[in-house]
Amino acid sequence: MNSKRKNLSLVPAFATKLTLILTIATMQVNAQAQSRPNILLIVADDLGYSDLGSYGGEINTPVLDQLAQQGMRYTDFYVSPTCSVTRSMLLSGTDNHIAGLGNMAETMAPNQVGQPGYEGVLNKRVASVAELLQDNGYHTYMVGKWHLGRKPDQIPHARGFERDFSTLVGGGSYFDDGWNISWQIPKMPYTEDGRPVKKLPKDFYATKAYTDKTIQFIEEGRKDNKPFFAYMAYTAPHGPLHLPDDWLRRYKNRYDEGWDGIRQQRLARMQELGIVDKGVNTADRLFFLPRSTTLTPAVRVLQGRTMELYAGMVEYMDDQIGRVFDYLKEIGEYDNTVVIFISDNGAEGNNLRAMVAGQMGSFGFLHAMNNFAEDGHNSLGRKGTFAEYGAAWAQVSSAPFRIYKGWVSEGGIRSPLIISGPGVKGAGGLNKKAVLHVMDIAPTILELAGIKHPANYKGREIEPMQGKSWVGMLEGDTQSPRTSDDWLGWELFGNRAIRQGDWKITWLYQPLGTEDWQLFNLAEDLGEQQDLSNRFPKKRKQLIALWDEYVKTNGVIIGVRSPWEQASKQLPNRVPDFDNFPPVRGLETLPYKKLIEVMGGGTEDKK
Amino acid sequence: MKSANRHTRLPAILTAMAITLAFSGTAHAVDDGARAYWKGRDGTNAFSIQYLNLNLQASDTVQFDPAHFIYPNADVEANIMIATWARHMTLFNRASTFSVNVAGGSVDLDASASLDSPFVPPGELPGIAFSQSASGYADPSVQLVVNLVGTKPLISTVDLLNYEPTWTVDAAVMLAFPLGQYDSDKLVNMGLNRWFGRIAFPIKYHFGVFSPGYMSSFEVVPSVWIFDENDDFLGQKFENDPMLQLEAHLTHDFTRSFYGSLDLLFRQGFQSEINGVELGDEIDIGDFGFTLNFHATDNLSIRTSYSSNVFGDKNLDTSLIRIQFVYGWHRLMENMKKLQ
Repeated sequence: MNSKRKNLSLVPAFATKLTLILTIATMQVNAQAQSRPNILLIVADDLGYSDLGSYGGEINTPVLDQLAQQGMRYTDFYVSPTCSVTRSMLLSGTDNHIAGLGNMAETMAPNQVGQPGYEGVLNKRVASVAELLQDNGYHTYMVGKWHLGRKPDQIPHARGFERDFSTLVGGGSYFDDGWNISWQIPKMPYTEDGRPVKKLPKDFYATKAYTDKTIQFIEEGRKDNKPFFAYMAYTAPHGPLHLPDDWLRRYKNRYDEGWDGIRQQRLARMQELGIVDKGVNTADRLFFLPRSTTLTPAVRVLQGRTMELYAGMVEYMDDQIGRVFDYLKEIGEYDNTVVIFISDNGAEGNNLRAMVAGQMGSFGFLHAMNNFAEDGHNSLGRKGTFAEYGAAWAQVSSAPFRIYKGWVSEGGIRSPLIISGPGVKGAGGLNKKAVLHVMDIAPTILELAGIKHPANYKGREIEPMQGKSWVGMLEGDTQSPRTSDDWLGWELFGNRAIRQGDWKITWLYQPLGTEDWQLFNLAEDLGEQQDLSNRFPKKRKQLIALWDEYVKTNGVIIGVRSPWEQASKQLPNRVPDFDNFPPVRGLETLPYKKLIEVMGGGTEDKK
Repeated sequence: MKSANRHTRLPAILTAMAITLAFSGTAHAVDDGARAYWKGRDGTNAFSIQYLNLNLQASDTVQFDPAHFIYPNADVEANIMIATWARHMTLFNRASTFSVNVAGGSVDLDASASLDSPFVPPGELPGIAFSQSASGYADPSVQLVVNLVGTKPLISTVDLLNYEPTWTVDAAVMLAFPLGQYDSDKLVNMGLNRWFGRIAFPIKYHFGVFSPGYMSSFEVVPSVWIFDENDDFLGQKFENDPMLQLEAHLTHDFTRSFYGSLDLLFRQGFQSEINGVELGDEIDIGDFGFTLNFHATDNLSIRTSYSSNVFGDKNLDTSLIRIQFVYGWHRLMENMKKLQ
């Protein structure tokens, strides 16, 4: 009895102690929660380097421009040439050849299949930044494009996101018909909180839906005062270029002028903004693209229509990001949120529609017939269409760089980067010194959250992060996380590149490259126009040695097949391209309206 | 008054029929037809040829002349061919269309004069059924349509590409010339033996996507017909009040190359007078029908329509069958095909 009583008498003391411990622990968690920022990581899909107003673009992006005013912009931020590859590095903090996306799952070469780092999904050799944040007191949300695996143990919910509304594949319709760009999975698989979404609502429009879900997740999770990590992986402005009806003609006739003029205007603004230095080489128009002033106004209107859609999608996304910011301000979390905005790769200049539709008689063609065969110029951007803006406008988006998505030239791998939030010094500034990489983002986020990257995760050894945290740079302690001796490497589809300091070598398939190493000095030649191999053979050799090291370090396997191996046959012929190319000799520099006047009151094709 | 006048419509109807047969609007007969006022690029030409078969049966007696002679159970059948050339152009800096119509064919009438009738058409006997027919050219006409509201002139391909109409309002003026076949001893003729014309204000509302396969429209064409007098109708002077007409179409693309339309046509007015004496009551007809249009090639459309009177005068049955071929072209488009 006594013993029992004695034991009973201990209960209040034990309970008090336990309560005290729990209280202290809770206080610590809350204190930690309050001191740690929210992270809002926004990724645009196929957005070009110069599309945002704050990077020289004419597209109306007031929300992101305002973000740039509050935070910092960076000129030398690198991603991969394609989306899933970038995403693997973004979430893992290490090279794509280690994280499982040595090649895109859709383009894996026979000699790459089954090899480590070529799983085509975010593999288990890495822990995602979301997994680490989730385990360390963060709410983790994801909306939008995943593209890193479709099996149950590969989807966002299995890789650290407690809430998600995601499409697991690379792209497709923005509307409720939900067709995927690939016939092999005819409908885009969506998941919500790890469960398949069976039906999309009638009024579904992806960019808005992702925004709605982000706000919903934050709202529903904020009761416990834990910080959040929200990964907004918008699919915009990836093709197909789709818009709600009331946004379709927002840029009506804005691009009738043609791509050359718009690109020149962008370059001028980029110089004004200090993004491009005066006197620096910028990229020439690609050899197969005509000078836009040689095209009739009617053709320019048709070509411009696709750019109108693209611009509309960019502005729509900007508008939706504004909704998230407004919400965060409304709940008092905006000032405690670090916002990172990037694009996943360069602008899309490839003919994706033709690539996915394939040849007549193929399943791809049948898929196209069933889902996106509409092509009337007034239908573009609506359900049932697959508009893209093509290589010429992609060059505008990629200005001042060369080529576009899919290639390791600067046009394929440079992205805008805006960071704003607590701890980010230098409001409205532009950092041109830092050489940054997408795999830096995960270590940056972990450092902001006070989390160390582990050597083991859930009983398995994981690869260390190769990325370098930017926290010191954000706080103004350094200008760059890298020295001039540090280097970065890329390989995708057999195209290769190394950048060290201002020097860069590339190996590109013909005809856009030479299928040999070319050497460029980016300080003078942003457009990668002048191959300096002959002038600086030692530098070239030195960088090739770094390439060899890159291959060895990351287990790179050059595929025996590449989407670009037939590029010489697939790209159009060279256009006759010299000054004052007929038939409008001397008229190229005229303003568009004046040109129409000169050509006969708009009757360029007079009856 | 109205009851008495119920039996006085055939001359008006016949005349109206002759009018409409003699005039075919821009490219259409009887009514202008669905999508008749859609805009085309400056310089686009269209040539249309259409065949019409119109049947009319008066199931009651109808008043026919100034002395109230009655001809019950009149049957009329007309077989007409109409050729139209139209061209889209810019006039007064507005999108405009000019068209010329030439028509010809035959009209057959079966009727009878009552036994107590003091007047019998020349060559006929009271109480005995008689037939009359006419054949030859109808009165040719021209029409000019000028857009007032809703679109800029479609001068270039650029203008056409930017053309996304919602509301458009036009003004249309038609004038017919009394050049067609006319025999003053006959009740029926292909020509009217007088000048006449029409003023219309076609109104269109486009909804849905203005893109082949998705286009839909609601079209209303209010108009008024005005006639000169015929000073030799069976040897007498024949006059009419203006006639009000309201034409409406609800059109919809079923596919890129196939659209349909529901058609309505109301006509009122046209009070007739012979030698200053008013005849019967006014026309009061409402036709309902449908049109199917198939774009056989880039240039060629084939259209068929049917309509019948379902409103207005109960003593009259009409049916109209129309088959039309429209061939359109623009020089540049044809040249582009050559280059391709």
